[in-house]
Amino acid sequence: MKTADELIKSYLTDLKAALSGADKATVQDALADAEEHLRTALENERAEAEAEVETVQAIIQEYGEVDEIAQAYKNWEAALPPALAATPAARRASSAANGTSPAAKTYPGFFGVFADPRAWGGLVFMLISLVTGTLYFSWAVTALSTSLGLMILIIGIPVTILFLLSFRGIAFLEGRLVEALLGERMPRRASFTDSSLSWVERLKVLLTGKATWLSWLYMVLMLPLGVIYFSLMVTVLALALGLIATPIAGAVMISMEIPFQVIHSGDLAWTLSNSGGLLLTLVFAALGVVIATGAMHLARWVGKVHSKFAKALLVSD
Amino acid sequence: MVELQEIHKKFQKELSAGTVSLALLSILAQSGEPLYGYQIGKLVGAGDDDSPGVMVKQGAIYPVLRSLETQGLLSSQREMSDSGPPRRYYQATNTGQEALQTWIKIWEETKSFVDNVLGGEYQ
Repeated sequence: MKTADELIKSYLTDLKAALSGADKATVQDALADAEEHLRTALENERAEAEAEVETVQAIIQEYGEVDEIAQAYKNWEAALPPALAATPAARRASSAANGTSPAAKTYPGFFGVFADPRAWGGLVFMLISLVTGTLYFSWAVTALSTSLGLMILIIGIPVTILFLLSFRGIAFLEGRLVEALLGERMPRRASFTDSSLSWVERLKVLLTGKATWLSWLYMVLMLPLGVIYFSLMVTVLALALGLIATPIAGAVMISMEIPFQVIHSGDLAWTLSNSGGLLLTLVFAALGVVIATGAMHLARWVGKVHSKFAKALLVSD
Repeated sequence: MVELQEIHKKFQKELSAGTVSLALLSILAQSGEPLYGYQIGKLVGAGDDDSPGVMVKQGAIYPVLRSLETQGLLSSQREMSDSGPPRRYYQATNTGQEALQTWIKIWEETKSFVDNVLGGEYQ
């Protein structure tokens, strides 16, 4: 005979199995909803300890069979693509719903990238990742060392729980950021924590949970990644904008009657005419535009790769 | 016979897809205070399998609530409770209140159309 708690746990396991094939984030949302409902219901309907098992059976019966519930979530997932319709499946689903062809949502051609919200999202993400990465890293390292240091004292346990919980919380927030900017579907509910457990038990759950440590790893790795993303993007953008601005410099040189000296070394000098100099700056500007477009492609690509990485580390199985 | 049962079930599911959204939005718009999933489930799913009035399992209202929230018709917030786990409270937004008026109109039209057809009006 299973206890009430085991019944709830086994229902959740079955639900997870029934949801196989659905998006990981949907699975996490569905499990959070189910656990919240079942435990709240049990809390409300708990009459006497003997009847607890029957109560849970009735509650689960009313909640619905796993297959039915799993199907409801899968339908919901198909009808509501994530913010930028990043997954091919979601995009197909939404275009089928809107009656538009999938091709309408792609951005063809080399310069089409400027119309793609995911490229701009990736660009913003790369630029802010230096700040978020630094914050995450500092927090992750401070939290872990403080927790370890206080472990020998009683106060160490609540402090450690708070820090470990903060990893989960930050992982959830970063997930929202990743979905908003990079368009990858991430959990919309923070994962469920059972508040009926004692502190020591909660600590054990948090310490042994894979999600806690993967979130921590993500926070630590965000510093080097943030530095790379930021430096790369700033360098390429500065180069592109500098080149695009050269015709302005050329115009200023002409108005101030400064000659276009391309080479000026010792007695070797090669001076262009004003029109020749201006033409050269236009070539530079065109090159700048190409590099800027390349930067947008880079941002979109990095965004795509990073969202896979974030999903692997921040969304628990 | 089993196949027929499946067909009935499928028909009911398709029929309930939109009406559940309407019912949930209406419940939350009429309720003066935010409600959490379990309370809403009690209101909608009251009854058992024998009662034909039950259109939706309690567990199936959560994806609908989420979808209404994504559309901006509901808002929700998570609150700690004295006993048991934290609860997510849902309430209708202003957009939700407005949408409900239109939905009710659509529902009335649908209802009278179906009633007329079933009553042989189009014969």
